[in-house]
Amino acid sequence: MLSLFAHLSLTPSSRPDNPTHNPKLHSNPTHLRKDPILTRQQNEFDLAGKNYSGAGASPEEERSSIPDGLRRELMPEHVAVIMDGNRRWARMRGLPSGSGYEAGIRAFRVLVELCCKWGIRVLTVFAFSSDNWVRPKMEVDFLMNLFEKGIKAELDNFMREDIKVSIIGDPSKLPTSLQRLIARVEKNTKHNTGLHLVVAVNYSGKYDIVQACQSIAQKVKDGLIEPEEINESSIEQELETNCAEYPYPDLLIRTSGELRVSNFFLWQLAYTELFFSKSHWPDFGEADFVEALVSFQQRQRRYGGYK
Amino acid sequence: MNWLTSIQDPIIGKDLYSKYYYLWLIVIWHVVHFIISIWYCALRLAETVESYLISSGLLMWNKTIDTSRVQYLAIVLDSEEACRTSEVIKLLQCIERIGLRNICLYDREGVLKKSKDIIMEKFSRAKLFEEACTTATTLLDKEPFTLEFVSFSDGKEAIAQAANYIFTNYHKSRYQKDLPCTESHIDEALKATGYGQPYPDLMLIYGPSRCNLGFPAWRIRYTEMVHMGPLKSMKYGSLIKAIHRFTMVYQNYGK
Repeated sequence: MLSLFAHLSLTPSSRPDNPTHNPKLHSNPTHLRKDPILTRQQNEFDLAGKNYSGAGASPEEERSSIPDGLRRELMPEHVAVIMDGNRRWARMRGLPSGSGYEAGIRAFRVLVELCCKWGIRVLTVFAFSSDNWVRPKMEVDFLMNLFEKGIKAELDNFMREDIKVSIIGDPSKLPTSLQRLIARVEKNTKHNTGLHLVVAVNYSGKYDIVQACQSIAQKVKDGLIEPEEINESSIEQELETNCAEYPYPDLLIRTSGELRVSNFFLWQLAYTELFFSKSHWPDFGEADFVEALVSFQQRQRRYGGYK
Repeated sequence: MNWLTSIQDPIIGKDLYSKYYYLWLIVIWHVVHFIISIWYCALRLAETVESYLISSGLLMWNKTIDTSRVQYLAIVLDSEEACRTSEVIKLLQCIERIGLRNICLYDREGVLKKSKDIIMEKFSRAKLFEEACTTATTLLDKEPFTLEFVSFSDGKEAIAQAANYIFTNYHKSRYQKDLPCTESHIDEALKATGYGQPYPDLMLIYGPSRCNLGFPAWRIRYTEMVHMGPLKSMKYGSLIKAIHRFTMVYQNYGK
C-alpha cells in the first residue's frame, strides 16, 4: 500500500468496480474475449523452490498463486509495458547507463515470471524504439549486445516454461547476428502454448501502421483487394501485433513517471487502460505490478460505449 | 480451522475448508479494495483543497504557467460526459481563462460535433480550426480561440481513407515502380483528405476510463496524457496543476 503514495498516477476517478462484475459482459469491439479460466494453460514454473503446476493444479493452488486483492477472472489478457527509466535509475546511483539496462533485464525476468504465474496470456515489452537510434552509438551497441546475450541466456527458460516469443519491429537495422537469433528463437518457440512474450525492438507505432499499409498495397497490386475496399479492419489485420491471440493490450504500464506512450502501439491503445508508475523500470517489482493490476481491476472499461 | 479439519468425514471436512478459505479470500479482497477506496477519497479531498488554494490565488501556479508550451491541447471526453454541454462550456471557459488558444475536443460518438453550434455561440472569439486555417491565421496567434471537434471517424477511419487515397493514386499511375508509403506520405495523404490537424502536446481525459478512447492514433505519438476524472468534478485548480506539470516536463523524444 505504501507504493500507492509513490505512485504518480492519473487523478483517480473511478470508484471501485463491483467485485461481482462479470468480465464476460465486456465486449471488445475488435476481438472476442475468451473465458480465462476455461482456455488458460498455466506453465510449469519453479519459483523459490515451489512448483506452480499447470493443468493439474488444484483450485487452492490456483487461487493461492494470485496475490490478495486480485481476482483471476479480472486479470488482463494482454499487458504491455514501456520499460522506461533504466538510465535515470543508474544515474541516481552514480552508475553507468549499462548497469541500468542490466538491472532492467532483471526486472524484466521478474515480470515474465509473474505473468506466467498469474495467467496473463500476452506480455508485450517495448525494448527499443525506432526513435532510440539517435542515442550514442556506444549505448546502442551495448543494448544490441545485451539483447543478444539476454535472448541466448533465456532460450532454454522459454522452452522449459512453454513461453512463445515473438519480436515485432523493423529487423532490417538490427545487427545480422541478432536478426538470426531472433529468427531462431521465434522458430523454436512457435509451438509453445504458454505466455506469449512479444518484444518490440526497433518498433514504432507509426511504422506499424505504415507497414500495414504497405502490406495492403501489395495486395492491391496483386489484385487481391480494391483500393475502395480498404477500411479500418484491413489495416488492423496487417498490424504486427496480430501475431498475438489478444492483439490489443488491456493494460499499458509505463514506468518512471512519464505520461505518454512515445510512439508505442498508437493504433492499438484506443481502449487500453493506462497506468503510469513513478518507479524507474529496474525498481518495478511485484508490488508495483500488483498495484497496476489492482488499479486495472477497479476500473470501468466501457470500450467507448455507454454503461 | 482446527475443528474443521478434524471432522470425521475427510471429504466433507475438505469441502467446508475450501468454502471457508474462499470466503476469507473474498473478505480480504473487499478489505483491500476498501482501503484503496479510502485512499482515493483522501486523494480527492487533497485535490479539492489544493484546487481551492490555486483558484483563490494562494498557490501562485496560475501566474507562472508558460502557456506557450501548450500549442495544441486535446480534451478527450467519454461520450456520456460529452452530453453535459454546460460543463463542457465551463471547462472551455477555464481553459480560455488560462490562456490556451487551440483546443481539440474529442468524443468517440461525435456528441460534441452535434453540440458544436451551442458551444461556439458561447465563445465570441472562437473559430473552428478549419476556418482559422483558411483565414491565414497561425497557431501562434493569440487570437482567435480555435476549436476542433473530432470523433472516432477522424481517427482510424481517417488513416484508412488516407491509405485509400495513396493506393488509388498508385493504382491509377502505371509508371510508379515503388509505392509511396512512408510516414510522410501518410501525413500528406491525411492533409489531402482533410485530416491533417496538428498533434496535441497535452491531452486531458475526462471520464471513468483512463484511455484515449480512440483519439486519432496518428496524432498522439508524443502527447502527454493526463486523466482528470469525471467532468462534473472538474476544478480550475486541477486544470492549472495538470498544465503546470506539463510545462515542467522534459521530453527527450527517444534520445
